[in-house]
Amino acid sequence: MASQLYRNTTLGNSLQESLDELIQSQQITPQLALQVLLQFDKAINSALAQRVRNRVNFRGSLNTYRFCDNVWTFVLNDVEFREVTELVKVDKVKIVACDGKNTGSNTAE
Amino acid sequence: PKLYKSIIEDVIEGVRDIFAEEGLEEQVLKDLKQLWETKVMQSKATEGFFRHGHQSPQFTLQLPHNFHHILQNSTASVVIPAGRGFQHLTAADLGASRVGATLTFPSGISYPIHVPAGVTLQTASGHLYKVNVPVMVTQASGNASILHHPAQQIFHPLGQPSVPQASIASVAQVNASSAQAAADTLQPQETAVQQTTVFQPNVVEKNHLEESASTSFIQQPSVSQQQLVANAVLNQCADSNEISQHGSLRMAVFTPEPSKGSSPTDPVANNSSSVLLDVEQQGGIEPQESVQQQVPDDIIDLIIVDDSLDDDTVLKYQNSIAAFKKMEPTEQMESNLRSEKYICSDIEGIIQLDGTGDISPREEMPRTKDMEENEFIGIIESEDLKVLEDEEDAEECDSVSNTESSSTSGDNEELQIDVVEEDPLNSGDDVSEQDIPDLFDTDNVIVCQYDK
Repeated sequence: MASQLYRNTTLGNSLQESLDELIQSQQITPQLALQVLLQFDKAINSALAQRVRNRVNFRGSLNTYRFCDNVWTFVLNDVEFREVTELVKVDKVKIVACDGKNTGSNTAE
Repeated sequence: PKLYKSIIEDVIEGVRDIFAEEGLEEQVLKDLKQLWETKVMQSKATEGFFRHGHQSPQFTLQLPHNFHHILQNSTASVVIPAGRGFQHLTAADLGASRVGATLTFPSGISYPIHVPAGVTLQTASGHLYKVNVPVMVTQASGNASILHHPAQQIFHPLGQPSVPQASIASVAQVNASSAQAAADTLQPQETAVQQTTVFQPNVVEKNHLEESASTSFIQQPSVSQQQLVANAVLNQCADSNEISQHGSLRMAVFTPEPSKGSSPTDPVANNSSSVLLDVEQQGGIEPQESVQQQVPDDIIDLIIVDDSLDDDTVLKYQNSIAAFKKMEPTEQMESNLRSEKYICSDIEGIIQLDGTGDISPREEMPRTKDMEENEFIGIIESEDLKVLEDEEDAEECDSVSNTESSSTSGDNEELQIDVVEEDPLNSGDDVSEQDIPDLFDTDNVIVCQYDK
């Protein structure tokens, strides 16, 4: 149900890897791993929505933009991320944004 | 950081029930938690407890999680992009677990051959390959790993090196992008094609740059011909003048690979070329590089021009250029395999082509490639090359190349000009390619949600 958008994040990936390891060692079943991931989706979605309040401003040059299946994908160059506490500069950043309202097409189900 | 911890805790709690349903022991859940935390800690270095130092940090990938994917996907140690400041990942770690090609993205690193396992990152934005990708590229003979080193590094220098020629600079940028694409392509190619792919994009551009070809080189190495390519690249990069520059680059690249046997004869050009060659050599291609090294520029020109290249220049460069030429055209990438042959044969092929009077670089290029391929086969002394294509051509090429080795630099210049013209033809292709790799090879990825 919840967006599976966050599976490809540091947290999400490490979780998936860990689950894979457990599967390899036969400690859990793939089905269970899937359940865990679904649970992760819910948890991460709600955590981000509820717990995170930081505000970051960023400015850069838009290299490409794409909107497909209700998903925005941007590629920015020379971006500067500004937060109250720190400033981060990167040459290239890819932003993937899913619709917050109804999780449009959910591949999971 | 804390947020991560809290999320992990929440998720673990959430799945605890699920685990219980499955009848799994609590231990399994604990294992999961520890594994998870370890990975997170290692990859992001976020403060965290529960870091058991899980065996060797596989994650060493410092790079944003995206890297992991890249590494995995690329499998070919050729990890590209991210030159931007990628953090060094202990390539060893990453590579070992994933692709085997460690990603070492030294941010802002100027080529020093990092041989660390291969991760050549190419920074899309003009950085060309800062990352020393020691490994990567080239699969060429399957040595992909080896090539990576040299190939990768080459990239850096290319983009970075002060391309002696102004044109190069401009081209370089183009190349850089192409190089990246190439580099990226290399990676995939590594597995599939030995090198040529990457190189080609670079090469193409490089030609313009001439010297910047060095980047192109790198790509080439991936090609089985690598050797040839290396030479070509070196040549290109080094442009005889630049050679010193490139040489250093190459050298760096080369150092990892020198085993190839193509010992970069020329200190300057050779180095670079040798590196490349080595890389290529992996493919088993003979170090024709030495010839190439002499005039990286020339070769490039030769290659580019295809037709315009004089036999002499062509010969010299052919070896190297051939590799490049092939590479230049976007088509090259396709014919990566061929590129190997091209390297040897290209040069020779070029010569022959010229002999036939096909000078128009543009028109000829596509043709030459075909012809070259055939020719290369013969020319390519390297055994590997022959395997790739008909050997008949190789024979012819050999004779040709030998004679030409004395190619003139002047011709090269002309060739370059031609090449430049041709670039526009290929540039269109490159553009589209750039987007794709850029989009997916980005190291930094932000995932979020929006409300309409």
